[in-house]
Amino acid sequence: MAKIEYKNTSVQFVDNVYEPAEDTFLLTESAFNYIKDGMNILEIGTGTGFVSAVLKNNFEVNIVSTEINPDAAQCARSNDVEVIRTNMFDGLKPIQCFDLILFNPPYLPTTDDEKVPGWINYAYDGGIDGCDAIRNFLDNVCNYLKPNGSIMLLVSSFSGIDYIKKMMESYGFEVYSTSRERYFFEELAVLYGIHKIKNLCKPVH
Amino acid sequence: MMYPVLGEQLKKELMDILACPICKGDLVLNIVEEDEVEIKSGTFYCSQCKEYYPVEDGIPNLIPPDIRE
Repeated sequence: MAKIEYKNTSVQFVDNVYEPAEDTFLLTESAFNYIKDGMNILEIGTGTGFVSAVLKNNFEVNIVSTEINPDAAQCARSNDVEVIRTNMFDGLKPIQCFDLILFNPPYLPTTDDEKVPGWINYAYDGGIDGCDAIRNFLDNVCNYLKPNGSIMLLVSSFSGIDYIKKMMESYGFEVYSTSRERYFFEELAVLYGIHKIKNLCKPVH
Repeated sequence: MMYPVLGEQLKKELMDILACPICKGDLVLNIVEEDEVEIKSGTFYCSQCKEYYPVEDGIPNLIPPDIRE
């Protein structure tokens, strides 16, 4: 079992679970600028639990997370993260109780031939245009956010940073690009969105 | 508007925000093992869908049975 030490936190990771990488670190770093003590936070698709574990160890916040991959859910649990094994928001009542919802989605454009066997596919497979999980997230997230609550979404040039920013705006979010970094093959950004239009859960075209 | 208070007793209060992943209805919890903080094992039952969802090692498994494994 491998381990990463990061900001007062020791995070273990195992096979068949997405290993913390540049995208994970960028989302975590960005979240530090927006989190305030006392917040109720939900992380969708926590994987190893890295983001939740680091935030929990550095702020006085309540964090719960969801994860579909059973190996990842157990890994997150071993990292002292409160995790529910479910797909996205499926196992949660639509109660608007969270100040902030974080999501590092699977964003790689993926055809049927490119799917990876096993649960780990959920960490990569963003559908044909890389945006399937992001659409699902935006379709549901406002049912869980407090009024004027916010979201942080890790996005990649593979699925289109500006395209996703516009998509978020169409769901009633005021969107800010908080971090943007270029790596060898892609550009990553964290989009921070404040939900400004009450009860708007479907895009406005 | 009232919100659930997720505080010191987060782990048990968390159970109040869980729903059946199929119909989003209420779940009935049957506790097998617990401590002061959390439910270690047990089952959730949805009477609408007539489905059981296990809690194992403190992790509620809210994946529909047909895609669980």
